[in-house]
Amino acid sequence: MTRVYVPRDSAALAVGAEAVAHAFVAAGCEVVRTGSRGLFWLEPLVEVETPEGRRAFGPATPGDVAAILAGGSPLALGDMAAHPWLAAQNRLTFARCGVVDPLVAPAFDALARAREMGPDALIAAVTASGLRGRGGAGFPVGVKWRTVREAAGEHKYVVCNADEGDSGTFADRMLMEGDPFALIEGLAIAAFAVGAGKGFVYSRSEYPHANATFAAAIETARTKGLLGSFDIELRVGAGAYVCGEETALLESLEGRRGQVRAKPPLPAHRGLFGRPTAVNNVLSLATVPWIVLNGGEAYAALGTGRSRGTMPIQLAGNVARPGLYEAPFGLTLREIVEDIGGGAATGRPVRAVQCGGPLGAYFPPALFDTPYDYEAFAARDGLIGHGGIVVFDDTVDMAAQARFALEFCAIESCGKCTPCRIGSTRGVETLDRVRAGVDVAGGLALVEDLCETLKFGSLCALGGFTPYPVMSAIRHFPEDFAFRPDGGGT
Amino acid sequence: MARVLEFDLGTPETVGEPIGLTIDGAAVTVPEGTSILRAAAVAGIAIPKLCATDSLDAFGSCRLCLVEIEGRAGTPAACATPVAPGMAVRTRSAQLDRVRRNVIELYLSDHAAHPDRGECELCAQAAALGVRGSRYAGGAAHDGLPCDESNPYFVFDPARCIVCSRCVRACDEVQGTLALTIEGRGFASKVSAGQDELFLSSECVSCGACVQACPTEALVEKAVLEVGPPDRSEVTTCGYCGVGCTFKAELRDDRLVRMVPWKDGKANHGHSCVKGRFAWGYASHRERVLEPMIRTSIGEPWRTVSWDEAIAHTAAEFARIEARYGAHAIGGITSSRCTNEETYLVQKMIRARFGVNNVDTCARVCHSPTGYGLKTTLGTSAGTQDFDSVEQADVIVVIGANPTDGHPVFASRMKQRLRALSEGGGGAKLIVIDPRRIDLVRTPHVRAAHHLALRPGTNVAVLVALAHVIVTEGLIDEAFVRERCAIEDFQAWAEHVAGPEHSPEATEAVTGVPAGELRAAARLYATGGAAAIYYGLGVTEHSQGSTAVMAIANLAMATGNLGKPGVGVNPLRGQNNVQGACDMGSFPHELTGYRHVSDEATRALFEAAWGAPIDPEPGLRIPNMLDAAVAGRFKALYVQGEDILQSDPNTKHVAAGLAAMECVVIHDLFLNETANYGHVFLPGSTFLEKDGTFTNAERRIQRVRRVIPPKNGFEDWEITQKLSTALGYPMAYEHPSQIMDEIARLTPTFASVSYDLLEREGSVQWPCNAAAPAGTPVMHLERFVRGLGKFVVTEYLATDEKVGPRFPLLLTTGRILSQYNVGAQTRRTENVVWHEEDVLEIHPHDAEERGVRERDWVQLASRAGSTTLRARITDRVAPGVVYTTFHHPSTQANVVTTDYSDWATNCPEYKVTAVQVAPSNGPTDWQERYEAMSARSRRIAPEPAE
Amino acid sequence: MSAAARPDRLIYMANQIARFFDDQPGDAAAGVAQHLKSFWDPQMRAEIVAWRAAGGEGLDPVAREAVGRLV
Repeated sequence: MTRVYVPRDSAALAVGAEAVAHAFVAAGCEVVRTGSRGLFWLEPLVEVETPEGRRAFGPATPGDVAAILAGGSPLALGDMAAHPWLAAQNRLTFARCGVVDPLVAPAFDALARAREMGPDALIAAVTASGLRGRGGAGFPVGVKWRTVREAAGEHKYVVCNADEGDSGTFADRMLMEGDPFALIEGLAIAAFAVGAGKGFVYSRSEYPHANATFAAAIETARTKGLLGSFDIELRVGAGAYVCGEETALLESLEGRRGQVRAKPPLPAHRGLFGRPTAVNNVLSLATVPWIVLNGGEAYAALGTGRSRGTMPIQLAGNVARPGLYEAPFGLTLREIVEDIGGGAATGRPVRAVQCGGPLGAYFPPALFDTPYDYEAFAARDGLIGHGGIVVFDDTVDMAAQARFALEFCAIESCGKCTPCRIGSTRGVETLDRVRAGVDVAGGLALVEDLCETLKFGSLCALGGFTPYPVMSAIRHFPEDFAFRPDGGGT
Repeated sequence: MARVLEFDLGTPETVGEPIGLTIDGAAVTVPEGTSILRAAAVAGIAIPKLCATDSLDAFGSCRLCLVEIEGRAGTPAACATPVAPGMAVRTRSAQLDRVRRNVIELYLSDHAAHPDRGECELCAQAAALGVRGSRYAGGAAHDGLPCDESNPYFVFDPARCIVCSRCVRACDEVQGTLALTIEGRGFASKVSAGQDELFLSSECVSCGACVQACPTEALVEKAVLEVGPPDRSEVTTCGYCGVGCTFKAELRDDRLVRMVPWKDGKANHGHSCVKGRFAWGYASHRERVLEPMIRTSIGEPWRTVSWDEAIAHTAAEFARIEARYGAHAIGGITSSRCTNEETYLVQKMIRARFGVNNVDTCARVCHSPTGYGLKTTLGTSAGTQDFDSVEQADVIVVIGANPTDGHPVFASRMKQRLRALSEGGGGAKLIVIDPRRIDLVRTPHVRAAHHLALRPGTNVAVLVALAHVIVTEGLIDEAFVRERCAIEDFQAWAEHVAGPEHSPEATEAVTGVPAGELRAAARLYATGGAAAIYYGLGVTEHSQGSTAVMAIANLAMATGNLGKPGVGVNPLRGQNNVQGACDMGSFPHELTGYRHVSDEATRALFEAAWGAPIDPEPGLRIPNMLDAAVAGRFKALYVQGEDILQSDPNTKHVAAGLAAMECVVIHDLFLNETANYGHVFLPGSTFLEKDGTFTNAERRIQRVRRVIPPKNGFEDWEITQKLSTALGYPMAYEHPSQIMDEIARLTPTFASVSYDLLEREGSVQWPCNAAAPAGTPVMHLERFVRGLGKFVVTEYLATDEKVGPRFPLLLTTGRILSQYNVGAQTRRTENVVWHEEDVLEIHPHDAEERGVRERDWVQLASRAGSTTLRARITDRVAPGVVYTTFHHPSTQANVVTTDYSDWATNCPEYKVTAVQVAPSNGPTDWQERYEAMSARSRRIAPEPAE
Repeated sequence: MSAAARPDRLIYMANQIARFFDDQPGDAAAGVAQHLKSFWDPQMRAEIVAWRAAGGEGLDPVAREAVGRLV
């Protein structure tokens, strides 16, 4: 019986992977469901096991199944490991994603090794790796763990932030669907490092497949005794972007309204239920097993400046080759957008890219030589964030994008702090007046004042970062804010 | 008197090592953990703020208090940032000013125009920052949303709300009810009571904390809207329950506008409940009687007379009765609602003028067993701790008390301590011993570790079983017992409780409490750290009330839970001044400070001061007076501020006793139920109209200040003084402070108390004397007042009130939050919207058996009598148990209670009555007869034409 | 009311007090007698004493003994 690998990743399912899988079953194949390898323009990407190894085809439809099995399909991609888009990557975090059956538990070698090392050596290794929080804040993971470990208290928690809400990002989801055990092992290692007995994974209701896969994986890990006395609970949020902010996430986990807490106290000191808590992103935790097995130095050897290791870059929007591309920090934005992404899907010139989610700055092509690392981006008021890059071609209306940023802030505001609660709505209203040609100069000045207030006055990054897309659009694309009676784009 | 203003330091006080820093170049030293905002306020630097207030934890939402800190990035909020050594803070800069003004502009863009009453903090901050309008005006706004006027006392106007969450946080942190929330997100965020309900229909308990916390008058008292903002205020003590909250009475001219809890009040720390905060309207209720009245017999209508005539008539009647029946036919009842000074004068008049000790007080029917039990075991008749002590408790045991209804302000503090457990803050575990599932058993963020739902009347059996576990499992604090207690008594007690017949397993059949649960509770109490017992009338109002109090003291001594903070034996006393009334010599066997009348030295002291001989024999207690009256030996009674007909048990017997008397003098605010049997009515003054002191449940003596002149013309002590003088025992005090000076001279535990001291200290807890000049928060620190603590054997004896085929259910009684005792005050306020009538709680099983449906009229009958009321079907009560309140005279729950009473003190057994419940179609014969009699008795003769 | 009327309530109260002291170590009757002296008004005591003198029907042994000591 021929074994065929068909992804069960949401991105593949969205383009018909389920029907393709059924067709292979109907054709008498043994179908193994995997995650996605992250080449979304090729999904559904199927692989057929042959004596020479796995051979890939994509994008496949049920109608292609017969030809694929007969060996004569024009969709043939050959050995994926040799595919240039994958071969050029440096897959550490996503090494198994798209390759393995996500529900078959691997040996937790890294956890075993971590236990041999003991918490102190373990935290030292993670610190030495230079791993920074992949959720967006970029805070050194080892330092956070040390703080929690040293915080007084009998009960501690580890919390995984899987509330992936940034537009154009999907790495957390891909990993939970494609290699949930990487996250489970990472969480267990984190718990061992900080001295926590219980872990929570806070996911989102928009990710039903990820949640189902992850829940099944937890059950397997529990049944197989992989976790020891440690336990993990999956919680699913109700669709608030702000619950991706760590303190709002903790409020939500405690059963309260998802509202940001003032810091201090830091969650590392007083977090979930008032106890010391390490809150880490999915990607941060899933990278930890590799660091444990290969050493902090090996990870730190990759990257540039203070941005060490690899980043799972997520390419989306109007781009020819969307998908997940894990590479060391240091590529230029142009290499990522033009060479890796292949430019705009429409074939038109790229006019702007937004990096780091809906609150990241817009980069014009003039800044495309910026190296992809935390510090270089910060120097241009940009954001690495969670690694999302959204591409726009030259039909984009940047005034509409600026308005969208404020509208996003208004919709997602938890309503706690005044600048965000009232200011975001006032910003939308003001930009609407500007776009309608009412006191354009006065309106833009007011938006600038508002952005200062949002940046310095907001309680959390939602309000605090909204000025970045707004002001970068105004600064780099001023022509879009001049009044045009037709209101359309250029 | 001017308006008393409180200064808001922004965030709560903290305790810690001193930390030095500079703010705008000025050096400041504050305790560790203090916020920059508070440190600046202490240094006299006002950082703009709206969402911060020092009664609530920092929230950090308004973003006005942003500051710059040298060496730190960004602009942190001063309210949420604690000080650090050497920190250099800048509170002003061009950027900070810009951001603050912009934030104010944002606020003003959604803040409806309103009349300036000087109370809106947003408008004040805008003015201070020089912001006159908003460039953002004209967009979406909350203007036009409906104003919630459902609560009888306050309104909520969303158009003025700035969503600072101070109300929501006050409901959470101060009150602990969590009725309020923010509904919606972002700009649509809106304060909401529950799931978009009206305040009145929500979980809101109308404590007023939200109204007080509101900075913009979005939540404001209706009285402020009607009368206008207050222009003067006076600090005084609440006249409702034994918590003794300090309030700022705020007035406009001579009209009381509102009562605002006082932050420096040591019992309430700025919190309040619906009664003290809002239910003061009775003081000007139309039914209040302001002129004296007399009549020759209770069949006649009342005749309004002058004060002189009323006093002269009363004196003549008392003199006649004394001449005919002897002084022993005369007695007085002091009031736990009146001041210490007034109470003192009543007992002084009875004892000194008539030479008898026939004086008693309403503590007879509530906490007299506490007096007896704690005096016997520990040496003094009072609770051992201050309220603050609860913050250090690790285990809290609540027995026969319902703090969230009866003592709501203290309950909120208790809940804070209990909630801390689930919130990771240390907290306390809770054990509830009560037949009924009181709210504390399950309330937001609080779950009792154990609820021992015992059968009514089996307190002593449960307490002894707890002791059995502690003794037999070796959980005794031996060092404490050896050092602090009389060892022979301990050994006798330990041997007694260790008997196998006292094990939880052996007593389970009687108490209904599962043995495993009881054992676990005993272990928790004995080994869970500092353990405090709080109890109420569910302990005292039994035939073994005094025994149960002693059993509680035994437990505390055996486990070393006395003589330090966080522990103790704490009676939750009912009335505002029930502790004081007892302290003031209101019991027939004791002079002030609990000294027995048989003690010659004490008598000599009083005889010298009063210039009259004191009877060395105890006088009659209230039930004894009524018995003696029925027997024809007791003829004249002066009742100050108590409605014994409604509040005392076995109403028919009380009525018979009163009817047998020849002169019943009612000194009260209203024609109460007892007044139906009265011959003289002397109008009383409210707590708002007099100077004096109240003593709360933690022995705290607090000033009551005259806020408005007495509508009836005199403060109550003046009326007693007039009567005494007319009776030939002149009194000539010019001010209550002189009465207190006399009390202090004659009472060792009050030796240092004076009005001057109270002005200086705010309040003090007795003993307050040379040994403890600042008073005594926690008693029995080094040794017990009686020397060695005395263990007393407490054998459980079943009450003679037993269920049987005729009366198969057990009735127990209690109170609810919005009403107070017999309701004389609260029924004459808007509080009736929460409790229009008393209802009978009955378990679904018992209701089913009797064909009783929700809201049906049912007849409640005991061997003493019967009454009708509506049924509420609930599993709060166990099968076999029914429950009601006694707030309404139309129900007269005490028609069914019996005359069984505590063996030691005659405190009535209100908490256990065997009853039957049956569907009914209307009032009982008694209710109809009484109603008719009452209507007749209340007639007042029309004024004769001039 | 004549002295011969049976003082049911006082008998009940005295017996109730006696039942408590009966369980205490030491001289129970002394405890009861002291309690009656401390808390009962002389008329009540006189009435119960008279009842005992007239036979004391209804008084339990400890109560009877204690009332006897009041004289």
